[in-house]
Amino acid sequence: MAKYDIIIVGSGINSLVAASVLGKAGKKVLILEARDKIGGLASTNEFAPGFKCNVIHDTVKWIDPRVSRDLQIESQGLEFIDLDVKRIALGSNSNEHILFHKDPLTTSDSIAKHSNKDAERWIDFTKHIDRLSNFLEQLYQLTPPELPNIGLMDALSMRSLLGPILKQGSRGLVDLARTAPMMMPEFMDEWFENELLRSALSTAGINGLSYGPYAAATGYNFLHQHLHSKGIIHNSSIIRGGTGNFPEILKQTLQSNNVEVRTNSKVVSINVKNNAYESVSIHDGEMIISDQIISGVDPKNTFINLVGAPNLDPNFHTQIRNIKYRGSTARIHFALSEIPEIQGIADEQMNTVFSICPSMEKLEKASDAVKYGHISNEPYVEFSIPTTINSDFAPQGKHVLSASVQYAPYRLRDCEWDSNSKEQLKQNTIQVLEKKIPGLSKLIETSVVYSPKDIENEFGLTEGNLNHGEMTLDQLLFMRPTASSSQYKTPIENLYLCGPGTHPGGGLHGANGFNSAKKIMEKT
Amino acid sequence: MSRIDRYDAIVIGGGHNGLTAAAYLARAGKKVLVLERRHVLGGAAVTEEIFPGFKFSVCSYVVSLMKPNVMRELMLPKFGLELLPLESTFTPLDDDYLMRTADCDQTYREIARHSKKDAEAYQRFGPLMGQIGMAVRPILETIAPNALRPSLSDLFATKKLLDHFKTLSKEQFEYLTKLMTMSSADFLDEWFEFGPLKSTMSASGIIGTFMGPRSPGSAYVMLHHYMGDIDGAFRAWGFQRGGTGEVSMAIARSAEHFGATIMTEASVDNVIVKNGRAIGVALDNGDEYRSDMVISGLDPKLSFLKMVDEKELPSDFVRSIKNFRIRGSSGKVNLALDGLPDFTCLPGEGHHHRGAISISPNFDYLENAYDDAKYGNFSQKPFMDIILPSVLDPEMAPPGKHVMSCFVQYAPYDLKGGWNDDKREAFGDAVVNALARYAPNIKDIILHRQVLTPADLEKTFGLTEGNIFHGELTIQQLFSLRPAVKWADYTTPIKNYFQCGSGTHPGGGITGSPGEMAAKKILGIY
Amino acid sequence: MRQGNQFDATTQLRLSPFFERTSKLNESQEWRRWSGYLSATNYELNHENEYFAIRTKAALLDITPLYKYIIEGSDSQRFLNKLVTRNINICKVRQVMYTPWCDENGKVIDDGTVQRLSENKFRITSAEPNLGWLEHNSLGMDLTITDDSSTTAALALQGPNSRSILNAVASDSLDKLKFFWMMDTNLGDMPVSISRTGYTGDLGYEIWMNPKDALSVWDLLIEKGKSYGITPTGLQALDISRIEAGLILLDVDYISSRHALIESRKSSPFELGLGWSVKMKKDDFIGKRALEKELKDGPEWKFVGIEIQWDELEKHYRQAGLAPGLPSTAWRTSTPLYNGSEQIGYATSGAWSPILKRYIALAHIKTEYSKEGTMLDFELKIEHFRKLTPAKIVSTPFFDPERKRSCPA
Repeated sequence: MAKYDIIIVGSGINSLVAASVLGKAGKKVLILEARDKIGGLASTNEFAPGFKCNVIHDTVKWIDPRVSRDLQIESQGLEFIDLDVKRIALGSNSNEHILFHKDPLTTSDSIAKHSNKDAERWIDFTKHIDRLSNFLEQLYQLTPPELPNIGLMDALSMRSLLGPILKQGSRGLVDLARTAPMMMPEFMDEWFENELLRSALSTAGINGLSYGPYAAATGYNFLHQHLHSKGIIHNSSIIRGGTGNFPEILKQTLQSNNVEVRTNSKVVSINVKNNAYESVSIHDGEMIISDQIISGVDPKNTFINLVGAPNLDPNFHTQIRNIKYRGSTARIHFALSEIPEIQGIADEQMNTVFSICPSMEKLEKASDAVKYGHISNEPYVEFSIPTTINSDFAPQGKHVLSASVQYAPYRLRDCEWDSNSKEQLKQNTIQVLEKKIPGLSKLIETSVVYSPKDIENEFGLTEGNLNHGEMTLDQLLFMRPTASSSQYKTPIENLYLCGPGTHPGGGLHGANGFNSAKKIMEKT
Repeated sequence: MSRIDRYDAIVIGGGHNGLTAAAYLARAGKKVLVLERRHVLGGAAVTEEIFPGFKFSVCSYVVSLMKPNVMRELMLPKFGLELLPLESTFTPLDDDYLMRTADCDQTYREIARHSKKDAEAYQRFGPLMGQIGMAVRPILETIAPNALRPSLSDLFATKKLLDHFKTLSKEQFEYLTKLMTMSSADFLDEWFEFGPLKSTMSASGIIGTFMGPRSPGSAYVMLHHYMGDIDGAFRAWGFQRGGTGEVSMAIARSAEHFGATIMTEASVDNVIVKNGRAIGVALDNGDEYRSDMVISGLDPKLSFLKMVDEKELPSDFVRSIKNFRIRGSSGKVNLALDGLPDFTCLPGEGHHHRGAISISPNFDYLENAYDDAKYGNFSQKPFMDIILPSVLDPEMAPPGKHVMSCFVQYAPYDLKGGWNDDKREAFGDAVVNALARYAPNIKDIILHRQVLTPADLEKTFGLTEGNIFHGELTIQQLFSLRPAVKWADYTTPIKNYFQCGSGTHPGGGITGSPGEMAAKKILGIY
Repeated sequence: MRQGNQFDATTQLRLSPFFERTSKLNESQEWRRWSGYLSATNYELNHENEYFAIRTKAALLDITPLYKYIIEGSDSQRFLNKLVTRNINICKVRQVMYTPWCDENGKVIDDGTVQRLSENKFRITSAEPNLGWLEHNSLGMDLTITDDSSTTAALALQGPNSRSILNAVASDSLDKLKFFWMMDTNLGDMPVSISRTGYTGDLGYEIWMNPKDALSVWDLLIEKGKSYGITPTGLQALDISRIEAGLILLDVDYISSRHALIESRKSSPFELGLGWSVKMKKDDFIGKRALEKELKDGPEWKFVGIEIQWDELEKHYRQAGLAPGLPSTAWRTSTPLYNGSEQIGYATSGAWSPILKRYIALAHIKTEYSKEGTMLDFELKIEHFRKLTPAKIVSTPFFDPERKRSCPA
């Protein structure tokens, strides 16, 4: 039986980053992945003969700069396409749209068609966002302190936060403290009047949440989406060859760092005795021993399913059970017979991300469905056409349209996530899309729907939540995933966490994995 | 014709906070003048005989958060403060009910009827909230530090507060964090399973705010209401004998006892500012009064956007005040009744008439009510917090008759198409219909009905957008940010101009706290 | 409109299935609330006869208000072993174990008995409701938990004659039934379970039955027990005898860690004299790690018996011009204990023991002062003035008759 220093459960981006960092430091690391390929949500697959899609993420919002630097991902051949037009927000009338450009002046011009006042404020707004995200960027690289008994060391470790304060004064921190708990309309009221613009910005605030823009702390989520954006609103980049290429590139780094990867190896239990980790068992009965284990899967899977509730202290068990997941974003991929036409959009702009967001009220109404366990009648739809960048995603001349759809709550009240409810979701989505792409239905050759339930089944994400736990204020920082496990270590000795369920939350940025690996190296 | 009199301090608005500030200043030997626009004192805390023989606490209807030291220091019991406990909370349901009483064991048995686990959890929940409330109270009793440029004493006060949190166990600190950030529904879901218990408990998290129980942030409002204190017992609610106006009257009598002058029907038009200093006020009728300082008990929008010229204020401050969220969300329906409502689920007269009656059967009901308002309509089936003052104090109504006070949510200030007489009556009808679902005899026993929409509350009581708290209690509008950063310590950018209303720290409710703390801050300066 | 109050009818104080009898027998009409039930404080105007029934004859007590839970399923043994501090793996069918249970910080939540009814079925009794705690900790295990509190009625028959009475009415002999074991039998034609347990520290039994049989069982015992001196007994007499037996009472001698708001109110088993019940060698149980640490560092407090020295006590009274006057009932007001001017502990309950003729109490003492034989000062009020009078730490139980454990030869 091989003996490893560290076993990592799951092979999402964070697991791969943690493995690379630890491997590089000379640890003997083994990654166990249940699926037949690594990468977790960074996945590209063929959903119909000849048609490929980025299953979950079409774009990458930001990557922790330490990860890019340390793992030299770009020199390994990962190509990020940094489009000029980051996103186009579509309003209710034809030709009504706002174009979010890399260059804020261009964006401002686009806004000016709707409101001169808002256009004038745009540059200030981007600077404001840049300033606020500066604080978060520092915070995201730290291990949260253990509260309320914050020690001297904790306080010292947070000194990097002083940087932006010294640079920008405490006003920035106060602004962050004010903005984070805000709801989008409140945040927007302070800046803009045009409904399409307000709504287009709100879509970043609701990204991945089960809440609508009228919920407190959507302001925080907006900032979370804009880390390292340097004030470029709706900033994101696209990976050449598909998001699935990201883990492929990391594979090379892993190899050079002597990390062993086993796919098709589903961990069925993390064996614990007297509150200390001992070994893992794989689905075929094999038991593997290591000194330490890091779980990249979400907290519920880690503790309830793998460690087992009977092995948890009562209070910790309560905390784990109280984590809110509530996945409510679905993905739908359409195989199209030809490129669709969007009213008022030029051909060369078809490669960007589109969001259909006529008003905040529409977004909020869509979100009401979650409260009552229904599928939104008129969902919020965000889509892109990946074939405009990766032509190999579809047969010659054909195209793929991939949509993220909110809200499709994991828990439906009157039915299950079966073919009927998925069909209903698809029809609702097509209806919304048709308003912008008349005749779309006729182009659809086939399609696939990933409901939160499907995402749970496919990727092992509890309730299909892409962030391994909702990104709400009560589940951030020293509360993420719970108050007694927010430092990447857990109440169970030698069991660590590195997934998006930890600080600083979800996305393909790798910060969690990096922070976690650093923490473990501190300890050993 | 204009008169000019000179005072040490002028208080604009005879609401309970303005009166409290006046009483404290008078007690310290200042020559104080209180100017009230209406013919009655008390602002939102007034008692009025709306229909002959029927007296109503027209707006504010319960007293829970009044600070005990204010009651003692201003000798309010001597001047007529008499708080009667509301002994239960009754939630009628279609074929059952939930009733929590002052007796812990009885409440245990009643909840156990619905869920044994909830009954057990409930026994732990109350004391825990009390404990957290105790740790939070010092914050409420501290003048909010300047978060931009903290002074040495600000830092010292902050350190003292942080030390207070260390009295909390790790678990309690965790709950505090959750209370500051979660929705009341989520918070309660972690504790309880019986829907009506959760929804009724969550109701205190939505009172006075434009949020639903599932809106993040509502848990804090719930905590705010848990900090009520009568006779040292946390979370007890009380009814003032003679109506809430008597609380204001007690404070007014105290202020007069200490030498303050109180004028009613004296509507202030503006604060007179000269060289960046407040030097007095001018009334609508042209009278002017001079003073060393002016203290506004009005909400921040009125204090800064109406009472003084924007030009006197720094632009970022004006922007903050304009951005301050007020959003009225509640209405009030006062009913004069020929008898008591008879509840289908608990027929007859009983204990349940002596306490609060909560129309909050489940989260969906409340969320539906909220959804209506979110999109600019009043709730078709509103949440209601009801009391029957005449059961506790028979003098509120003629013999055998009753008055019923219904606090109703949601009624948005920004109603689609605006409020008018028809809409007001339709809103009143919705309230009566919602009541009739549980007490069908209600329609037959209504003698008179007074419906107050947020627009009416604004017009009558001068509450901007009809918000009873002078501004929403969301974490970005609390403590050092209430009403605006740097000006959360009752001072304003205008020298000698101060604020003491609910729009300042620690916020709304009949607490006397903003008034007291403002006065103490002022007395510390002069 | 109809008058009257239905609310009261559904949530008023609960009545035990024995109430029809006990209410008529209660001459004093003194009742106490026990877990929401009306429970007789004393049946006669004075509790003394009832106390002596416990110690010299046979006392019959209605103990229905105890909380009872049935745990059934293949994981029930594993579950209980995780829950409580004692080793349930060695508990045989029809054996009973007294045990505390703790939170993860090793602080006691409650204490009670675990009865093994069959291989995979247990009954656990507790002073406070524990359903939430039991269910929470059983998640992920194969078992069901049923609240048995109102579906099983219970009587305690305590005192030297209790065995004779049961032998006279039960279809099986109780001679072989050992201390902390139980058996199924019939009383008349009523099926019951009888455990040799109790809260008096004397020979005694607890009888568990279907509530529908409650009155018949009561009548049968009273009738057949008459010649053995059976006496319906209330809580006053019980309180004295449990202090004599050195048995702790929740909310009097300690506070459940689930309800204690501050750390200092919580107690570990070691601090309650229950160290013997903590089985460190068994697998992980809730609180084990904290208790291991506490065992290593030594507990801060000890729970001891003290005897207030009579001669000095008498002197204090004499100085006031009085003969010693002690309350005839047990007290439960916390009373400070000193070493010189330093307070080193507090007594939580105490009583004049009529059978031992000693003034005894149960007390929390800082460990360094807890050695048997240590003298300390007990605070006492005589004629409104506080006095200190010497008390000595003694071993418990204060009263421990041989008959409690023995079986007839």
